[in-house]
Amino acid sequence: MHALPSARSAARSARGTAGHSRFAAATGLRPIVLGAVLLAVIARDASAYTLTLTPAAPQTVYLQVGVGSFTKNYNVGGVPGNNPTINVVSTSVAAAAVGNGTAQAMTTDSNAALSNLDGYAFCNVPNQLYIGGFYRTSGAPTAAARLTATVPAALVNASGSTIPFSQIQWTSSGNGDAGPEVFPGGTFVSGGAQSIGSIASNQWAESCWTFSYLNNTVPAAGTFTGRVLFTLSSP
Amino acid sequence: MNHSALPPVRSRTFFFALLLSIIWAPASDARTTIIDDSGTTTLEPTVRLRWKSVAPPRSGANNQMVGLTTVRVHLNVLRWLKRSGRIYLALPAQPPGPLTATWTAEGRLAAGQVHSGTRTLIYSGPITAPFLDDVLRFRFTVDGSVVRRPFPVTFRFEFDED
Repeated sequence: MHALPSARSAARSARGTAGHSRFAAATGLRPIVLGAVLLAVIARDASAYTLTLTPAAPQTVYLQVGVGSFTKNYNVGGVPGNNPTINVVSTSVAAAAVGNGTAQAMTTDSNAALSNLDGYAFCNVPNQLYIGGFYRTSGAPTAAARLTATVPAALVNASGSTIPFSQIQWTSSGNGDAGPEVFPGGTFVSGGAQSIGSIASNQWAESCWTFSYLNNTVPAAGTFTGRVLFTLSSP
Repeated sequence: MNHSALPPVRSRTFFFALLLSIIWAPASDARTTIIDDSGTTTLEPTVRLRWKSVAPPRSGANNQMVGLTTVRVHLNVLRWLKRSGRIYLALPAQPPGPLTATWTAEGRLAAGQVHSGTRTLIYSGPITAPFLDDVLRFRFTVDGSVVRRPFPVTFRFEFDED
């Protein structure tokens, strides 16, 4: 583009200086003008369009213990939400059976039987408690997100009597599952943070827990309660 | 006697030359030129990538991220005015990894899909105006496992003259 005016002015001056050699001068200028035009075209055509792609909100963790909130199943575009419900797992021990060492099955008030992943009937309520979630992160695979349980020292009744949390254990399974569970069975460790399992990057993990009360102690009569806090932490 | 031998030789040479020119003809027609798209603009300067699926699967991987943007394409095709050719959208292979772009158009150009390192035909026919305009709505898909930070994506429009 910029070369073109100078070529034109060169042509003008050539015509003005020698009328007798007009034809010869014109033919001599053609390569110059042609060269200038070609240069202009090549410079203008060397173009491409560039956009910037930016990962937005790439890191996400979702944890559901008991009931959870999803607008609909994830595989049809569901989006997770916050559910403040605290589910209860409980059992009643007959007076004659207290402390006899026979484990007592516990049940839950959670109605979460279906996986929010795809609606699959994964857990059997009220005998099982759903526990699951996912960890999303962009980039190369990272260390797994870790699930921990913060466990009080004991369950407490209204008069202050206690039952150690270590009296509660669970087994882990899931309908259709084969092999080890991502959140395996175990026993609460009284007082402190306890590792429960982990979720690999960009995976959904879930299990169904079946709780039981070991019934190895003879506590005072009453209703004993305690709350375990589950925390999913990404690296 | 010698005279009578000459014409067949010339005839063979002519046909051989004709054959060569036929063989070489497509090569000279396949000249590709990058089109001046300096008038092209986008409504969103930055394309935000989101997970195609909010949550990942139980096993395996579904790590695709997608980003949407609208580009007002303005191609300067003046030099091919009153000639015919084919216009391609080319997506060169580039970091951080394989990329797929799909788009819809408003009619002047064709909708389509292109993968990194390839190009896709978006127009074929005569050039009847100095500029070719359309609005393309792009959907970029990339493997999230290779995306950590913002990155540029460059594409271009190529002209193959008939």
